[in-house]
Amino acid sequence: MKAEADGDDDAGAEILVSTEHLAPFPGLGRETRIKSQCTWNVAPRGGAGKRGLMRSDLDYVVPSTVEEAVALQAGSSGAVYLLGGTDLLPQMRAGRKDPGRLIDLKRIPLLREVRETEGGGLSIGAAAVMADVEIHPVVLARYPLLAECVKTVGAWPLRQRATLAGNVCNASPAADTAVALLALDATLNLVSAQGRRSIPVSAFFRGPGQTALRPGELMTDVILPAASAGFTGSYLRLSRRKGMDLATVGVLVGKRNGKLTLAARWRIALAAVAPTPLRVPDAEQVLEAKGSIAVWEAAELAVAACRPITDLRGSAEYRRDMVGVLVRRGVVGLG
Amino acid sequence: MSAARVVGQDVPRVDGLEKVTGAAKYTADLKFPRLLHVAVVRSPHPHARVRDVRTGKAARLLGVRAVASGRDFPLHTGIYLKDQTVFATDRVRFVGDPVAAVAAETPEAAAEAALQVEVDYEPLPPIFDVEEGMAEGAPLVHPDLGRYEVVSWIQPKAGTNVCNHLKIRKGDYEKALKGSWRVFENVFKVPQVQHVPLEPHVSVARVDLAGKVEVHTSAQSPFTVRHLLSVCFGLPHGDVRVHVPYVGGGFGGKAGINLEPIAVALAMRCRGRWVRLMVDRHEEFYATVVRQGLTATLVTGVDRSGKVQAQKMHYLWNCGAYGGYGVNIVRAAGYTCGGAYEFPNVWGDSIGVYTNRPVGSAYRGFGMQEIHWALEQQMDEVALELGMDPVEFRLLNCLGAGKATVTGQVLDEQSGRVDLCIRKVAGEIGLEAAREKRPYHGKGIACAVKAPAMPNDAASSVVLKFAEDATLEILISGIDYGQGLMTVAAQFAAEALDIPVETIRVKGCPDTDLSPYDWQTVASRQTWATGNAVLRAASEIRRKLTETSAEVLGVPVAELTLRSGHVVHEATGRSIPLTRLVMGYQFPDGHAIGGPVVAASSYLPEGLLFLDPETSQSAKPVAKWTFGAQAVEISVDPETGQVTVEKVAACYDVGRVVNPGLIRGQTYGGIVQGIGTGTMEELVVDTKTGRALNASLMDYKIPSTEDVPAVMTVDFIETPQKDGPMGARGIGEHTMIPTPAAIANALYDACGIRIHELPITAEKVWRALREREKAREEAAREAGAAIAGAGVGV
Ligand SMILES: Cc1cc2nc3c(=O)[nH]c(=O)nc-3n(C[C@H](O)[C@H](O)[C@H](O)COP(=O)(O)OP(=O)(O)OC[C@H]3O[C@@H](n4cnc5c(N)ncnc54)[C@H](O)[C@@H]3O)c2cc1C
Repeated sequence: MKAEADGDDDAGAEILVSTEHLAPFPGLGRETRIKSQCTWNVAPRGGAGKRGLMRSDLDYVVPSTVEEAVALQAGSSGAVYLLGGTDLLPQMRAGRKDPGRLIDLKRIPLLREVRETEGGGLSIGAAAVMADVEIHPVVLARYPLLAECVKTVGAWPLRQRATLAGNVCNASPAADTAVALLALDATLNLVSAQGRRSIPVSAFFRGPGQTALRPGELMTDVILPAASAGFTGSYLRLSRRKGMDLATVGVLVGKRNGKLTLAARWRIALAAVAPTPLRVPDAEQVLEAKGSIAVWEAAELAVAACRPITDLRGSAEYRRDMVGVLVRRGVVGLG
Repeated sequence: MSAARVVGQDVPRVDGLEKVTGAAKYTADLKFPRLLHVAVVRSPHPHARVRDVRTGKAARLLGVRAVASGRDFPLHTGIYLKDQTVFATDRVRFVGDPVAAVAAETPEAAAEAALQVEVDYEPLPPIFDVEEGMAEGAPLVHPDLGRYEVVSWIQPKAGTNVCNHLKIRKGDYEKALKGSWRVFENVFKVPQVQHVPLEPHVSVARVDLAGKVEVHTSAQSPFTVRHLLSVCFGLPHGDVRVHVPYVGGGFGGKAGINLEPIAVALAMRCRGRWVRLMVDRHEEFYATVVRQGLTATLVTGVDRSGKVQAQKMHYLWNCGAYGGYGVNIVRAAGYTCGGAYEFPNVWGDSIGVYTNRPVGSAYRGFGMQEIHWALEQQMDEVALELGMDPVEFRLLNCLGAGKATVTGQVLDEQSGRVDLCIRKVAGEIGLEAAREKRPYHGKGIACAVKAPAMPNDAASSVVLKFAEDATLEILISGIDYGQGLMTVAAQFAAEALDIPVETIRVKGCPDTDLSPYDWQTVASRQTWATGNAVLRAASEIRRKLTETSAEVLGVPVAELTLRSGHVVHEATGRSIPLTRLVMGYQFPDGHAIGGPVVAASSYLPEGLLFLDPETSQSAKPVAKWTFGAQAVEISVDPETGQVTVEKVAACYDVGRVVNPGLIRGQTYGGIVQGIGTGTMEELVVDTKTGRALNASLMDYKIPSTEDVPAVMTVDFIETPQKDGPMGARGIGEHTMIPTPAAIANALYDACGIRIHELPITAEKVWRALREREKAREEAAREAGAAIAGAGVGV
């Protein structure tokens, strides 16, 4: 055993000194090669002991209006919005997020509404839970693609808490509902102390966990436009097991028939095969131009558009091939 | 319920109401006054020298009551091989190895303090796979191996990474191999997997002011915990008291000793306070125990009739950082290396290798699923290569009465009938050779065998006693963690004494101060061992009741029987209710005879003999064998590689079905667990950092209800076990042994590919299919070129 801190018996010996023994977590561990006398003493994140919601100074607030929520956010530097918490809480537990204040939006009545808009579209409030969205009559009648995707998220108990807005704001590449919103040209309504703005969902995702949200910006609702009504199709999804697993690959194929075969509109969107969920306009266009006979071409365009990585759920190579397989199946299924 | 025929009936679980209502208490439910919480300081390195552990800062933090490290407790534990200290002393051997621990007033304070423990590590080169570990000059995980205490029947090799080596030498393998008509060689692999019990490990300990130790723990073996704690801390057994409340699953992961020494070490430093160590799911994955990995090389030589003549089995077990328990898996896999087959000439080596991975230990099957993964695929491949039907091939080569196992033990009529199990499941799934084949739709079969892997003197004991109203209380120390031990214990007693099950209370949450001794709840041994002890105690009770009654009635003891809660003299129709006997019989004049009726009995397997250290030959190395088979029907998605298990048929020779509902439940559960390890489970360890990459339920998947096959048929053969209670033998573990191999064989049947490395994931199937496609194209191209070439010549 070596003497305490400044003993000189081992002076100069290069050894690893770390206090991160509680963090056998990939990517979270930090260590440094330093002289033996020094003590590296930065509290690590993600350690066994550090896991858990243990900040004694964590502030939890429950506003009843959007304005109040935005004001509460502006008044605190480490504040984040909370909906179902099904992303946020596990991330806090794993030490990946460490907010000082949680602003719970679930008690804001306006945000819980799902209602038709004047323009004939559908507004889905940020706090509406997925379990309600997937059985909503307007969703089922006009936007069944959304229901197809929502149904695959986790399991029924999870969807009693999880929200579309949370799924989108969390911006996982594997976000199952994001592909439906992309395919349906949804618009996201945002508000902050600086004012309101709307942006198309296609401009929202920037990378894993990264979005166009500005600091403090709150998503109030998602708008499905009237023009997107009537698409049907399927969300084909591969996972390691059948129940309750994140997508290894997700492919949404939607179609809306026109008067003539070639007037049909197509939608193809992909999950878990790129840094963000993405749409494949090239593949849609070739189907619109040539009909479903162009299925192989469309599949190849989708494969070309994806940029998968290799992770625990699957290799990039497998994922790329599966995009082709699932696009073909989706298109053939729609005839 | 009629008491006369209770064994063999669907008696509902006696602990069912408690468990479904939530009345049943598990360790973490227990409330303790002024409980202290523990955080463990774990190694971030897979292999490093520990230069210094400085706990001063941590100890000074607010709320911290105790800090302990290897300096204070350099004590060794381990059930068979004492290779582990409570805390790492001079070196850490895997990511997660405990280095120190803190007990504090709140979990937060404990966690904070743990972060303040400073450890200086000097990283050493780690080894992660068995080949590296076996290599000449490999870094040694345990340089002190030669100095560790070890039981006589485990053979570690000092100066190497080998923690046990069991050799099977039967017949003349080399000669038989030379004489073989055809020879097949294959390598199979099994990764480390985790048990994923519903309830993670938790232990609570207190050392009182007089120095007595008391522990409440989620464990499979209260007495082994007591024994190992006593030995480790140098305490008289009488001063250590272990309670095991209800346990939420263990699957072997809670066998032996686990978190208890850490909790006790801390408790010693803050006497009078209860200290609780509870790991979360993340730690459960990498820091408790896992199943060992296996690399198996098999060589099979057959004669022209399809009979195996020469069989070589080389097993390299990835034991991880410590082998205290795992060494016995190495041994069990060795003496069972021939599976359900008769191999006349055998060369077997089962070698346990230390690596810097999580600690390998017992897991349902105790090495058997792993070796059957190899052996049962090998048998299938050999059969098909020879153009034989895999079912016929198995029937030709399987064990049975008059045939000898790899240790030379000759089986008799009562050893169980694997042939009947094979025929049964083959019939259920429709494995007849002439069956119609559908593309990407396959059927496969695999056999299973397992013996209880335990020391020859592993014993159980029970106490039977009565309450005033003739309620029979049965004290056992086997743990009912779902398999139904409490219920079958009640059934045996009810049948033996002809009393209603409803009047029996089984005390299934042992307390080592008050409960009778039991070695461990492992090895599928409880129904058999505790069952035997209950029957013996019941006959003792019967003797006492009838002796007293004989005196009362003035008739010979031999003329008395027990019927429906009475002692009855059939000839005269006179009877005495048990309520008037169990506390002693009082005559009308006031004098009394008898006294409280109580019996204690035990069971110890008889006639077991050690294996020969060089050849492992032994006429009776184990108490019994349970044979069985499973057949499966699967479909394969040719484009995605996804395998769907549609139907599973299972059949085991269990000697006697004690409770049909419970045994079906065991079998369904085993099949689903087998599908898990067969198709999705693997603890992935990063070979740069040694860290488990999927130590969470998000990344490590076990089957969900949607992954359960649509159809499972379960049948049993009942060839009575001579020394089994009413003929019963063990079944708990066997139910998950053959499933992965049966799926693999069905996969070959479906699409002609073999996956030799568990688990059979969709991506592996997809890759194998693509490779086969490529090979076919290549072959076609070559054939085309040859034809074109020939054309030119014409
Ligand atoms: C067991 C389990 C299974 C899961 N399975 C799936 C699955 O199959 N597919 C899938 O896609 N996901 C899955 N998830 C992830 C998660 O459930 C979804 O992403 C869910 O939609 C998140 O919604 P939420 O309401 O819980 O969001 P929260 O966790 O409350 O919030 C998510 C993020 O959005 C931010 N946020 C919340 N509200 C707003 C707002 N109004 N404006 C701006 N930012 C906001 C939060 O600060 C946080 O960063 C699973 C999670 C769990 C725990």
